[in-house]
Amino acid sequence: MSHGFELAPAKGPAVPDNPVLAKVSRLLDRLNSLLLLLSMWALVITALVLTYSVVSRYFFKLPTDWQDEAAVFMLVGVTFFCTGYVQSMRGHIGIEALSSLLPPKVNAVRLFMVDLISCLFCAFFSWKSWTLWHEAWVDGQTTSSTFAPPLWIPYGMMALGMTILTLQILIQVLAHLTNKPRDQRSAP
Amino acid sequence: QTTSLKISHQFPGGTINEGDFRDRLCRMFAQEVEKRSKGALKFAIYPGSSLMKTNAQFSAMRKGALDLSLVPLSYAGGEVPEVNIGLMPGLVTSYEQGYGWKNAEVGKELARILGEKGIVVLSWIWQAGGVASRSKPIIEPEDVRGMKVRGGSREMDLILKEAGAAVVTLPSNEIYAAMQTGAMDAALTSSTSLISFRLEEVSKALTTGRGGAYWFMFEPLMMSKAAYDRLPKDQQAILMAVGGELEAFARKSAQADDSAVAAVYQKAGAKVVDLNATTVKKWQAIARTTAWKDYREKNANCAKLLALAEKTL
Amino acid sequence: MTDLTLGALYGVVTLIVMCSGMPIAFALGVVAITFMFFFMPSSSLDTVTQNVYEEMASITLLSIPLFILKGAAIGKSPAGKDLYSAIHTWLHKIPGGLGIANVFACALFAAMAGSSPATCSAIGSAGIPEMRKRGYSPGFAAGIIAAGGTLGILLPPSITMILYAVAAEQSLGRLFLAGIGPGILLVVLFAGYAVFRARKEYAIAKAVYEAGGDKSPYLETEHFTLREKVEMLPRVLPFIVLLIGVMVALYGGYATPSETAGLGAMLALVLIAVVYNVWRPKDLSPILASTIKESTMLLLIIGMSLLYSYVMSYLHISQSAAQWVVDMHLSRWVLLTVILLMVVVFGFFLPPVSIILMTAPIILPPLREAGFDLIWFGIVMTVVMEMGLIHPPVGLNIFVIKNIAPDIPLKDVIWGVMPFLGLMFVAVVLLCLFPSIATGLPDMMMGAK
Ligand code: NA
Ligand code: NA
Repeated sequence: MSHGFELAPAKGPAVPDNPVLAKVSRLLDRLNSLLLLLSMWALVITALVLTYSVVSRYFFKLPTDWQDEAAVFMLVGVTFFCTGYVQSMRGHIGIEALSSLLPPKVNAVRLFMVDLISCLFCAFFSWKSWTLWHEAWVDGQTTSSTFAPPLWIPYGMMALGMTILTLQILIQVLAHLTNKPRDQRSAP
Repeated sequence: QTTSLKISHQFPGGTINEGDFRDRLCRMFAQEVEKRSKGALKFAIYPGSSLMKTNAQFSAMRKGALDLSLVPLSYAGGEVPEVNIGLMPGLVTSYEQGYGWKNAEVGKELARILGEKGIVVLSWIWQAGGVASRSKPIIEPEDVRGMKVRGGSREMDLILKEAGAAVVTLPSNEIYAAMQTGAMDAALTSSTSLISFRLEEVSKALTTGRGGAYWFMFEPLMMSKAAYDRLPKDQQAILMAVGGELEAFARKSAQADDSAVAAVYQKAGAKVVDLNATTVKKWQAIARTTAWKDYREKNANCAKLLALAEKTL
Repeated sequence: MTDLTLGALYGVVTLIVMCSGMPIAFALGVVAITFMFFFMPSSSLDTVTQNVYEEMASITLLSIPLFILKGAAIGKSPAGKDLYSAIHTWLHKIPGGLGIANVFACALFAAMAGSSPATCSAIGSAGIPEMRKRGYSPGFAAGIIAAGGTLGILLPPSITMILYAVAAEQSLGRLFLAGIGPGILLVVLFAGYAVFRARKEYAIAKAVYEAGGDKSPYLETEHFTLREKVEMLPRVLPFIVLLIGVMVALYGGYATPSETAGLGAMLALVLIAVVYNVWRPKDLSPILASTIKESTMLLLIIGMSLLYSYVMSYLHISQSAAQWVVDMHLSRWVLLTVILLMVVVFGFFLPPVSIILMTAPIILPPLREAGFDLIWFGIVMTVVMEMGLIHPPVGLNIFVIKNIAPDIPLKDVIWGVMPFLGLMFVAVVLLCLFPSIATGLPDMMMGAK
């Protein structure tokens, strides 16, 4: 697991061989970069908000009661908006000890199956997130605090983020199917 | 043929004879219903939020993914605004009045609304609460001015703000530490929780709910309507009957905890004070213009419920 | 099917899916959804997303990205190197002083960052080359850093302790305080061993030289003027101020734990801007990107673990397993040993975060039943998980060392960490004999429980 450091210099996301897929993949990369940038700002703003709440309570005697929920919403947004980006960099860690033991052909099948099942799971999760978002929207659900912000905001970020993640894995699944065998690929 | 039902709650798990009375009530309920249904209904109890997060219980019952739960009704206030009436400070000021809701108009209306939302109330449970403070006792609304207080609900926070307090929001596992360090000066919660959070160790004063209180919480034993409707009529009747019979136990235990909490804090050296009708009225007056008003304006159902509840005062 | 058979099936399926190399987050979700589909009412599937959201929407858990940001800000600036050099200039005269300097630097960095590998890489990238230049054997140098890095999750702040506090419903502030005593104990043990080992290597180097062999750099003496020593201080002082400032904010009642996380991250960003002139968007973006990458990965695992443990609880697997342990009527210490051994085994292949999330529902009830103080246990478990971080086959810190010093053979690294594993074991035994090493400080500062 990486913990605030990179085990290897950061590589860009892998580009599929199929031209159409490559194009879609690049579009998604641009969306991911945009969301990453947005999330960077959100992260800094969250730190600022929490700092502000301490400062305002002690120096100006003005207590804030919205800082925790604002922070929760912001960080839920960061997490889900960037999960597709992390997947594009293959940054969701797993136990890879087995891969070195398998013959290359079997390993290729394993990698394909892992991505396919992950994709199905994320698709299911996205679908259920959108239903949750819809419920919160129709019923006008809010959190039960004084601040009471609407719940469709975080649910929506969760649904959108998981959908992007699903698309990202789908592209990776399709790349497994359409990529030329390694030895036939031209050097980049 | 047996039906297995799951009961989830957030309180510490114990046995049928010992521990938090809300957990005991669930166990007594399970035992009695199993007996009367001759084993046709069986229960699994998940204490301490060991099945799901506290806030997910209500919604899970509505969707039929959870069968029963004993949970403060107002926790679902964001999802179903009407249920905020379950923790409306000053609206219930005695056990007499609270336990009378079930058969009053307000109770019938609340049951109807909950039914529409997919929830059936089996046992109508009310509990008073108090205030633990690390400095002076909180009696009059003026006492909270400038203090950092955890109201624990939207409605109480509105009142505290109006009274001039700095409202603090914290997860419940941080209450003790926050009282210790001074990040928080006082906390309002039920008598039972005042004991289980061990706040007497870090408090200098306690305001009890034994004499009279403006803070009464409705925490019923509820059932998913989907699960309830699946059962034959005779089993439904058993559930209702046992739930109703346990209300007496709940009331007795809640009142016992109101006295017990006083004893515990007294022993720890804290100053223990009670409220009287005049002080309760003062809190109620603030509640009317803040929390009640806020609630009334939410929707027509809320306005109607509030009006019916005021009739019971 | 009995609950325990179902539990065994759940375990086996988990093992297979995990070993397939599927990302941990998805693997946990896939196993949970599959069992929901086959063994639970279909309405359960409708509550999946709300349950995950409820789990994640906890301000305590969401302070994790902020603690990571604080560590990344300091770790990616030259602060780690400066910290280490400053301590070295003051300690170089003591035999093994360089080793001690590395242990101390790890401890100081650990007190600002929340994870072990981050600590390893921040101090090790300067420390390992320096120690090797001074003649320390590669294995020894690697061992010091791998072990020193583990302090990252023991000294506050700590990501694993955040998760433990939530799972065991203990106060995070108290848990953080409880880590300090054992952290200092480990620092003393590590430093003591560093002196012992350095002296031994020095003696060997001297014997080789006197017998006409090469002169090892061990035998060179270094000298720093007082002026040089004093000049190092201003670079370190700000971080000491940060460290103390955050502690005062939390334990002085000025901030809640989540606010402390935000405040710490903000202060770290301000410090690297002032001290190292790191403030431009292009300087900050790698720091923020790596923070987001790591915290997203972690929080997704945390969210999906909720589904995993929900299914375990619904199907009565965790309760039956916990009851099964209780019914064995093991004596207190046997129970503790069994549970810690289980943690060690999990540590062979899982990171500490997953260990806590997956085992808490099973191990905490029997421990509570047996009357163990859960704050104390959290600390013992943390030290045991730290051992997992440096022992093969999947010791995360070992990978970090391989990354910053690729030319040290893996065999040397592993042999280098072995003595430190022994010292950590000693620390666990001491913690069992004298629980107040952990609980003394929180009891003193926050009142006895
Ligand atoms: Na740390
Ligand atoms: Na390991």
